[in-house]
Amino acid sequence: MILAITDINEIREAWWLYAIGAFVTLFIIGGSLFFAFKAYKRSKELEMSKADIKKAIISSVSFSILPSIGIFIGIITMSGFLGIPLPWIRLSVLGALHYELMAASVAAEGVNAISMTIQNFTTIAFTMTISIIWGSLFTLFFFKKYQSKVVDKATAKTGRSFGPLLFQSVFIGLISAYFGDAFSRLFKFNTREIVDGAYTGNIIENKSFVPLVVFLVSFLCMMGMDYLVKKKNVKWLENFQLSFSMVIGMTAAVLLGLGGIY
Amino acid sequence: MNDAYRAEMHKFGRIFTVLGILVMFLAPTMIWLVSGVAPDFNKMVVGIIALSAIYLPGGIIEVATYSPLLGTSATYLAFITGNLINLKVPCVMNATEICGTKINTPENEVVSTMSVAFSSITTVVIMSLGIILLIPLRPILNSAILQPAFSWVVSALFGALGYKYFKGSWKLVVAPIIFVIIISIIAPTFVNSNIVIIILLSAIVSIVVSKILYNKEIV
Repeated sequence: MILAITDINEIREAWWLYAIGAFVTLFIIGGSLFFAFKAYKRSKELEMSKADIKKAIISSVSFSILPSIGIFIGIITMSGFLGIPLPWIRLSVLGALHYELMAASVAAEGVNAISMTIQNFTTIAFTMTISIIWGSLFTLFFFKKYQSKVVDKATAKTGRSFGPLLFQSVFIGLISAYFGDAFSRLFKFNTREIVDGAYTGNIIENKSFVPLVVFLVSFLCMMGMDYLVKKKNVKWLENFQLSFSMVIGMTAAVLLGLGGIY
Repeated sequence: MNDAYRAEMHKFGRIFTVLGILVMFLAPTMIWLVSGVAPDFNKMVVGIIALSAIYLPGGIIEVATYSPLLGTSATYLAFITGNLINLKVPCVMNATEICGTKINTPENEVVSTMSVAFSSITTVVIMSLGIILLIPLRPILNSAILQPAFSWVVSALFGALGYKYFKGSWKLVVAPIIFVIIISIIAPTFVNSNIVIIILLSAIVSIVVSKILYNKEIV
């Protein structure tokens, strides 16, 4: 089916790429519903309370809205360079904005939105897709073995055991790393200049205390809301406390921005 | 764990992963077929090698680190739908904390699957709505006023989640926090541009100190 289209814009914004985007969306929804249905049936076998399942769903949906808007902004960021449908597809399956931008700049160095050829576009699309695939391949081939050989052993011991503490330590390490990410920006961070949705190669040096303020405001809000949920019995807040804390933290960034502090 | 249920989920998970990988290749393959223009293989191979130098070990570390929390089905789902660290992992951490389930238990498997499934659905629905409403939405989301909010969404996310995980574990928190503060002062740009390595290092510090405290029966 070689039609030999020569105009890059006919490819970048092609209707069939949008159709693939819609198909990918349906695939993700279908797969998610399938596993959710299996889990729901399992919850009945385990005699888990419906309230817990409801809590898991509501908290996850409410929690996912803001980061998802952030991901959608990634599509807008890349759209000047790659059009709408390819970033939409890439950010729907195993994508992340910083990765896609890096892949685009590696696969088509020095190319901008105007000078891009169809070959650049095809090269970018393949490079982006192949280089991110390792986690999925590892899951496909080694996860089952890893789970039985490592995870089960670490959590199997009864009585006093280091297993649960091991995983707790990993997550504390993870959150500490993101505290470090915010804290380190007090001193210096580099931003790669983006023009028309692609890196230009220019590095801009910055420093900012805004991310640390955002981190601490969200942390303290969560503390306050946790107090309301646990001590004052404001039960409805439980599913939304994380989202609300995030919104308040992000609002702090907007207010500082209005005061000229970025 | 119920081995029959788990084995079934591994089977379906693997099928879903293979299908997901095929779906991922749909767009680049169609671009090639319809345009009739093959990718530049030299540039592609160089690009893949350069990116894989980061993302191959990164992918393995992610599976090793997050799969115990996610459980069976959610691991397969999350490693196709992506956005693990900025969305799926904290989402599951939140849901399991609210429901009070423990890692590698059947109940945790259910909660984490529900969490990743509905988080994934939320993301693709929001993106699709965004595409449909792109023209009116673009100026609002791109506005200079809102920009800082979305620039620092990850700090907001981990700040809020941080309280949940630090609460009740203060003795375990001190060492990794001191470690990241020191390394942030010495090499700030290394910290904020190599977050996967920093996660790995601070997790190691955290595990080593926890083990010492555990052996001394302090925790």
